[in-house]
Amino acid sequence: MSPTTTPKRSKKSQVNTALKPSSTLPQTPQPRRSSRLVSSLDPPPQSPPSPQPTTRSSRPPSLNPISQTPKKSNPDPYPVNDFFDQSLSSPLPPVSPDPSEPKKRKKRSESIQTKPAKNENIEGKRRNVEAPRKRVYYKKVSYDGGEFAIGNDVYVKRRENASSDEEDPEVEECRVCFKSGRAVMIECDDCLCGFHLKCLKPPLKEVPEGDWTCGFCEARRSGKRVEFPRPPRGKKRVRTAREKLLSSDLWAVHIESIWKEVDGSFWFRGRWYMIPEETAGGRQPHNLRRELYRTNDYADNEMESILRHCYVMNPKEFTKANNEGDDVFLCEYEYDIRWLSFKRIADIDSGEEDGEDSDSDEDWKFCQDSDSAAEEDVNYEKENRLNLFPGSSPAHALAANSRKGQIFGLQKIGAKKIPEHVRYHKQTEIEKAKATLLLATLPKSLPCRNKETEEITAFIKDAICNDQCLGRCLYVHGVPGTGKTMSVLAVMRNLRSEVDSGSIKPYCFVEINGLKLASPENIYRVIYEALSGHRVSWKKALHLLNERFSSGPKSGKEDNRPCILLIDELDLLVTRNQSVLYNILDWPTKPQSKLIVIGIANTMDLPEKLLPRISSRMGMQRLCFSPYNYLQLQEIISSRLKGIDAFEKQAIEFASRKVAAVSGDARRALEICRRAAELADYRIKKSALPPIGASAAKALVGMSEVEAAIQEMFQAPHIQVMRSCSKLSKIFLAAMVHELYKTGMSETTFEKLAMTVSCICTSNGETFPGWDTLLKVGCKLGECRIVLCEAGAKHRLQKLQLNFPSDDVSFALKDSKEVPWLAKYL
Amino acid sequence: MERQNSAEEALILLRIRLCTPNFIFSLSSDSPDSNYSKLKFILSSSVVEACNNSVLLLGPRGCGKIAVLELVLEDLFKEFPDMITVIKLNGLLHNDDNCAIKASLSPCRNFIKLILVPYAVFLFVDEIARQLCVEHELIFSKMASFDDNSQFMVAMLHAYTYLPYLITRECGLAHKTVIFVLDEFDLFTQGKQRLLYSLLDAMQSVTSQAAVVGISCRLDADQLLEKRVRSRFSHRKLLFLPPSKEDLQRLLKQILLLPSDSTLPQDYIVEFNARLLNILAGERFKDIMDKLSCSDPTINNLLRFSAVCFMDLKSGFISLENFKAALSSIQRQPKLECLKDCSILELYILVCMKRLEVKEQESYNFNAVMKEYRSIHESFQTSDHYSRSVCLRAFEHLLQREVIAFLDNRGHSQSVEFRPVKLLLSPHELYQGLKSYRSCP
Repeated sequence: MSPTTTPKRSKKSQVNTALKPSSTLPQTPQPRRSSRLVSSLDPPPQSPPSPQPTTRSSRPPSLNPISQTPKKSNPDPYPVNDFFDQSLSSPLPPVSPDPSEPKKRKKRSESIQTKPAKNENIEGKRRNVEAPRKRVYYKKVSYDGGEFAIGNDVYVKRRENASSDEEDPEVEECRVCFKSGRAVMIECDDCLCGFHLKCLKPPLKEVPEGDWTCGFCEARRSGKRVEFPRPPRGKKRVRTAREKLLSSDLWAVHIESIWKEVDGSFWFRGRWYMIPEETAGGRQPHNLRRELYRTNDYADNEMESILRHCYVMNPKEFTKANNEGDDVFLCEYEYDIRWLSFKRIADIDSGEEDGEDSDSDEDWKFCQDSDSAAEEDVNYEKENRLNLFPGSSPAHALAANSRKGQIFGLQKIGAKKIPEHVRYHKQTEIEKAKATLLLATLPKSLPCRNKETEEITAFIKDAICNDQCLGRCLYVHGVPGTGKTMSVLAVMRNLRSEVDSGSIKPYCFVEINGLKLASPENIYRVIYEALSGHRVSWKKALHLLNERFSSGPKSGKEDNRPCILLIDELDLLVTRNQSVLYNILDWPTKPQSKLIVIGIANTMDLPEKLLPRISSRMGMQRLCFSPYNYLQLQEIISSRLKGIDAFEKQAIEFASRKVAAVSGDARRALEICRRAAELADYRIKKSALPPIGASAAKALVGMSEVEAAIQEMFQAPHIQVMRSCSKLSKIFLAAMVHELYKTGMSETTFEKLAMTVSCICTSNGETFPGWDTLLKVGCKLGECRIVLCEAGAKHRLQKLQLNFPSDDVSFALKDSKEVPWLAKYL
Repeated sequence: MERQNSAEEALILLRIRLCTPNFIFSLSSDSPDSNYSKLKFILSSSVVEACNNSVLLLGPRGCGKIAVLELVLEDLFKEFPDMITVIKLNGLLHNDDNCAIKASLSPCRNFIKLILVPYAVFLFVDEIARQLCVEHELIFSKMASFDDNSQFMVAMLHAYTYLPYLITRECGLAHKTVIFVLDEFDLFTQGKQRLLYSLLDAMQSVTSQAAVVGISCRLDADQLLEKRVRSRFSHRKLLFLPPSKEDLQRLLKQILLLPSDSTLPQDYIVEFNARLLNILAGERFKDIMDKLSCSDPTINNLLRFSAVCFMDLKSGFISLENFKAALSSIQRQPKLECLKDCSILELYILVCMKRLEVKEQESYNFNAVMKEYRSIHESFQTSDHYSRSVCLRAFEHLLQREVIAFLDNRGHSQSVEFRPVKLLLSPHELYQGLKSYRSCP
């Protein structure tokens, strides 16, 4: 019982554990930095199965004078032996694999969460449907006698009706005399049991320095069978909240925000803590007894469920804290429920905000994705860079229901009141039409692309369902706006539902957009991150990916799944030596890779433009999305407008014919119709200021609006500009046309032009404005790109050229009132 | 004395008016056909109905594109407080954009750092990347390899993926609409157009609520977009045209008339306005306006014009002479004035160069000019003869004033004498200049 230094893991090894909690690391003995007012005495034995001891502070009960006397009236539902089993046997019975628990949690938080989530959904998606409810956000709330503020950690009841847990002792009893009393207690670093100093044998005078383990644990370690003193009859061994938490009967939560709902009930958003048993790896030998993991899992709960405060600290605070009572926990790592990986919190918080932010971003996005899938309200136009389907792990489900939470920071600001009138008015038909024509809104069905989707589906199924899963490669090309990405994503969605129903083996799906990578090499990084959840530099990622795809699956469980890689805007990955593309397309040819690459790009002959070694790997299977013809466009538009009576039939046909003639771009067709609707809306709102409901309702979007929209989209405005420009510019342009006809050369110099202008001016009775003014005029025209010209500093030698056909100029200037004589020069 | 004071006061009032573009454009904003109401309709529909729009404001410089936009944004801020975030980017400001963003975001200080920092970093990095990209494709692609060292580069890697989420976050949670204002839109179209692509692509998602307003004086700005970017661009175009002559005059009247309910003495206002109307109605003033609008009818020009005409205001009233002075100060002929200041020797050199050009000698350097100079000197037997070194100095002086210029930018190593030069004046101008030069032999 002499105070000694305790071995403690060095910093470095802790970082390592953050990454791989499952590996037992060599323990480097290191003297503890702060010697605390804690007791204890022997250096803990280093036997691997025993948990790493910590020092625990002594807890003088006087600190919690409120609940000096825990209720002890209940009959004892927990026999002592039971308790021993739970808290003394190490390792503890693993709780995490118990599938019912997370599910329960999920169910509960979902049921609680539905209301606010719905509310927000509605605000986000269909703004006009419902007036947004008001929520009042608080920093601090007094609730049920306790004061809870943002950032506090609290216990949360796990089951609503756990009757046996009614009593809530804040003070632990002594394990020997089973009274709490005022006397100083000491905590065993191993089993976390409390003992009165005087009850120990031999009694201690004061709390010893360093670690201390109780006699029982020591005896047990040395192999003896020990028995705790039995409690006196009729007296229940009361479990404290801490014990309940550690045996996963309670949860700990970090409050992120508190608000009052419209109905007056208080809610909070919490970030769960996890006990080591709940993590994928289970309790590890290096886990401290009071260690918790902060997860990136959120849920909304009612304040009702909060039990009381607990204190979760980082290691530094934890070493300093000695007298805070029983409810102190250590939290050093963040646990990523999706990747089942650990991360040091200190790194996350203080280091780059970047890291955490992007992490939560991803996760949030992911959550959103899975959530929206569940709701049948899919938004797949959204860029889901990572799109993994990790089968049916409970973590996945958890992530799904906690979707709202990730944006904890903004929540506080988001508490702003939304002006009611803004989004709360009845939609007119045209407004509805506008909403459905938005590119963002997604139709329920995708007309006109059945053949292509079937082909993609067949391709993927073919590639996946074979047991060998040969690597394959598909190149999808077509002009913009023909639904390439949309079709592929639709296929993936269908396939996912098949995965869910069990007819296809699970696979992982990674989507990357070439234009959204900062540089082509970064694709390795992104892929690797999507596959493994770790973030490394691209060189390392390349190395690891090479290893993975060439040497085949390792023992890991996820690695076996085939991987589908969707690369949008593939042409952006072409580097000078084309190594990126080569690598990516080379992987599928490796026998063990199980990689399927789908590339999407605009150019039809991208494989031919590349080096032969790449095109031989890529060009095998191609799928062309031809531009939509006008019938298809018409179908697309009218399928979107189904049930909304806002457009004339000919108007749609006109728009789709026009677009089909130019590009066959569905986006553009939709935009034209939307613009037309907008114009109609604008016209109506401006003209009918005294609101006449009837006239607004029957107003249809007609030909004229569509015509105007098309004009706006396709016609360059240069003619209008030329008509309205100054007299001198008109003369200037006319002189250019004149010069063009005279010489037949499209290019002229300023000197020659100035001569022409002065000729024209003198012969028509205009004053020649001078060379410098003329130069200025020329430069102005050049700025608008009506004229292409060199920089003005070249003055006399400046080269000039018309940017538009000379017919346009003559058309624009022919009937100008200012200078009628210009016509004869055109 | 009192008159003097009130004149000063009136001057201040008018100058304030002239310097705040909002005042001028608010005069003409009410009609339904105006760009103001159209733009306002588009942007407010993006706020209210979550229609994500992208608009291009096109038109020659000085037509008030930005001023109208500012006006609209101001109105929207009033109408929907706390719902709009404006992010302004200028294609010309490359590195300083960081500052510009911070400045533009400062009104919404309640943004937590978490949001602000990535934004700033994103823009900063993007600017660097783009600028490098414009100058050198190679540097840009190489830059990614430095990422291990620099925090910025790490941020850049995520910059493009950040953007959609940031927008989404803001819209979904703060219920805000982000309006991106891209000034000098044409400059954003250089390079691979990543910024535009990710912006426009992000706007296609359900949850985000944003509008992109591009401002450019290039009429073909939307043709500069890449195909896939253009397909995502929702082609709203607003054309800003210079006003007609009548509109200009009406506008000028509105600007210059003093309001009757100001603090100025009433009789002064009445007299001032009466005189002004008199001038504006006069025939000679119409001539001045004609001349002005003949070369450049934009509003900006008008403002500059009328701002200048207050330069001498002793009597307390605007006179026709003031307008005339203003016009002549706007329409200057820098080259001719430049010729007036030349020394005789410089004129000699210019004349020599002109003679060489008349002889259809395509390129010539200082030595050739010197030879010509000597031949003139011999044939005309003029009294003044300068040494070669003096001539060289005069020659260099002309070069500096950009009356003459080197033919090409290559060959910096060569000395001045041997590089081919070119006359930047036309013979016509030279002739005019010589005529107006009094002491020319």
